[in-house]
Amino acid sequence: MLIRYITRRTLIGFIQLFCLVIAVFFLIRLLPADPVSRLVGLNSSADAYEQAARQLGLDRPLLQQLGIYVGLFPDIEAGLFQGSLGVSWVTGSPVGSEIAVFLPVTLQLITIAFILAFFVSIPVGMLGALNPGKAADKGVFVYSLFAGSQPEFWWGLLFVYVFYFQLGWAPAPLGQLSPMTLPPESVTGFMLIDTLIAGEVGKFFEASHHLMMPVITLAFILSGPIIKMVRQNMLRALQSDFILYANLIGLPRKRVARYALRAAMGPSMTLIGILYGFMLSGAVLVESVFSLGGIGQYAIRSVLAFDYPAIQGVVLVITAISLIVYLLLDLIHAAIDPRIAY
Amino acid sequence: MKTMISTVAAALCTLTVAGTATAQGILILAEDVPAGLNYDGPAAAIPSSQQGMVTLLEPLVGYADGETVDGVILPDFSTFEGRLAENWDFDEESLTWTFNLREGVSGCGGATFDADDVMYTFQRAKSVSGAAPIGWFLSNVASIHGFGPEVFGDDPAAKELGDSIVKIDDYTVQIRQAEPNALLLPVLTIFGLLIFDKEIMEANATEADPWSHDYVNNTGAPGFGGYCLESWAKSEQITYSAFPDYYRGAPDATRVSVRRVPQSSNRLVVLRSGQADIVTGLTPREFNSIADVDGLTVAGVTGNENLFIHMNFDVEPFDNIKLREAIAHAIPFEQIIATGYFGEATQWQGLVPSTYPGFTPATGFSYDPDMARTLLAEAGYADGAGLEAFADAFALSYVSEKESTLGPIVNVIQTALRDVGIPATLDPIPQTQYGDRQLVKRDLPFAVNDQEKPIGVDAGYAIQLFFVSPENGGLNNMVNYRNAELDAMWAEARIDPDSASRDATLATIQDMLAADVAWLPIVEYRTQWAFSNDVSGLKWYPDNSIRYSDLKISE
Repeated sequence: MLIRYITRRTLIGFIQLFCLVIAVFFLIRLLPADPVSRLVGLNSSADAYEQAARQLGLDRPLLQQLGIYVGLFPDIEAGLFQGSLGVSWVTGSPVGSEIAVFLPVTLQLITIAFILAFFVSIPVGMLGALNPGKAADKGVFVYSLFAGSQPEFWWGLLFVYVFYFQLGWAPAPLGQLSPMTLPPESVTGFMLIDTLIAGEVGKFFEASHHLMMPVITLAFILSGPIIKMVRQNMLRALQSDFILYANLIGLPRKRVARYALRAAMGPSMTLIGILYGFMLSGAVLVESVFSLGGIGQYAIRSVLAFDYPAIQGVVLVITAISLIVYLLLDLIHAAIDPRIAY
Repeated sequence: MKTMISTVAAALCTLTVAGTATAQGILILAEDVPAGLNYDGPAAAIPSSQQGMVTLLEPLVGYADGETVDGVILPDFSTFEGRLAENWDFDEESLTWTFNLREGVSGCGGATFDADDVMYTFQRAKSVSGAAPIGWFLSNVASIHGFGPEVFGDDPAAKELGDSIVKIDDYTVQIRQAEPNALLLPVLTIFGLLIFDKEIMEANATEADPWSHDYVNNTGAPGFGGYCLESWAKSEQITYSAFPDYYRGAPDATRVSVRRVPQSSNRLVVLRSGQADIVTGLTPREFNSIADVDGLTVAGVTGNENLFIHMNFDVEPFDNIKLREAIAHAIPFEQIIATGYFGEATQWQGLVPSTYPGFTPATGFSYDPDMARTLLAEAGYADGAGLEAFADAFALSYVSEKESTLGPIVNVIQTALRDVGIPATLDPIPQTQYGDRQLVKRDLPFAVNDQEKPIGVDAGYAIQLFFVSPENGGLNNMVNYRNAELDAMWAEARIDPDSASRDATLATIQDMLAADVAWLPIVEYRTQWAFSNDVSGLKWYPDNSIRYSDLKISE
């Protein structure tokens, strides 16, 4: 049953992706800008401009361009059906290999930040819910208000100023490793894993140190809405009939809290899943502040340069990951909530 | 537990310190690192990519050093000196330049420089096989024979060098021009005709890519520069190591790492902490904030960066010369210099960079609001009455990505124009949209522009670029200025072999442009860098890229 559900969702996902490819292909071409002028610079001649447009294939009919991108004309250029996302108009590198470099940076950052935010938010949210109106609850309210009310780049810059420039506890916001450190050979693209695979423990600690501030910044921001959601759902669960009954029959407070938490986790997991998908590109400001070349930075650069293949590639990959996250979310829901069955 | 925490903290602190600059190695923080190293490739128009090209490759010709201003050495544009070409002569009759190449020059790959490398470079440019044909474009601008639009046709013979560029022997090359044109030597100094190492380029060619564009886009640019590429992670970092056998002497900085730090405030803070040696791309406010900081130097030159107002002749009411003059007198130049540039700019009295050969100062642009009101009345819009019909035309466009620099300036301009009755509004638009409307559609009615730096160092080149009508060879006539008399004068000056007569014509053209307010020049602002006091020897080049081999590093 479960396998059938996953198969069905995967097939629907492919259809969604295909529709998205078509929509994005046409939408970015409707935007009022011209990638060729960026390519040749503003001091070039009409001949040079036309040659550049030819090189990009923009002189071909629109439907043929779409066909090439999808992979219907492999003799002209490999396309999606051949496993190619095209070649960047900014760097001349294959978009797939560029995304393979940038994506792990973001995945590593947001995954660790989410884990940290999760383990901070659950007990803090529970604390507020179990002590409504008391000092702890007010403290939780103030924390979540602070964390959720300011943009992440502001906190990032503030943290850089305080913890790097003033206190010297954090490293300079210069990326995943110090500029003079040679990175390990890229195997997975995840710096922490690659340093361990290479057996370079010193670089692992260095990468962890560099990751500390961006992770804390992002976790701080993310924990705001998660805490609020956990607290609200816990309060609702604590007032539900089965919890009132559990209290009535004298079950231990800890066990009752555990039951309430399980009931509260469903909506909270939904929020976390949506936030994770959003943060794939939404972490761009934190990436920018800490000079981490992540997928968000890549997306912004591609949009500003009107690098059509890169924009299409980023949208496709982020959507695919989001679909996978949502599928996993549904499976987790089923595991948490016995009423859900597939 | 406390002990463990302090041990880990100490280890991490050690790691941080270990990441700072080493002796004779320098760390530069920039907005970006090269996206490609191919001047005929997709990244050619990006300044950070050009910085990578000039670090690894050498030109045939350069400019001699001129005066030193504010610690920065300026080029002497009137004196060319050899780089990979040792010397040259020109035969006026046959329009042929004979370049005697430098012997004993080697590159990072171990190959020796000779005429084959020059031939390869021009042949590659003429192949127009890259994403952007910059090498062809520059050769065309310099009237090198055979580098016309015919290369874009289907005839493979049109892509051959033929007898236009000829190898005489291993160290002699001849280049023939199709007509007299003073731009050949200036063009040979530009990044778009730097010389490749033929051996390595050919070793990395493939059947599908015979001119090694993929290799230069993504792996390296083999040449004869002062630095060799050590590592390169796009959008992250590029590291060069000094080439000890560099023909102009081993560079002082043995290793140069350029790190991408997108936030200018972070570049500033890391420089202040002492962990970086040079930073580029700060805002005028940020440069100003560290001007008096001990241990740091902020240096700048008035080179070729400027700000002007663009008024489109094809859009009403900017076709009204009195209105253009009224706007010219409504601009508070000194206030813009103080507010936007913290004094690091001067009023631009002309329409080509004042440092370029052939520049002629122009008069008539002064802040005089009463005069502006009078001119506005003469234009038929007393106190601005009637201008409300042109609300769209008075939307002052500027590049939104430059908000931190241009924001204060456009606000000053808007306020000043409104003071005299001109209903200006602000219209920030993205860079790509701005570029499209400026270059392709040429429909921006009213705009502020601070990004025009003619790469050819010559007043004539700047005039052809911006003011000659497109049908007569104008390249980027963004304001649709059309003046048949000017076009005819330029057509003569372009092929005038007498430099005195050519300069006189260019001066007349500049006077005409000023009289028509073809552009409204506002300021020439200083190109600035901030660096630690351990660094010196900085030189300015018209492409605004640093040559790391110029730098001197003190312990």
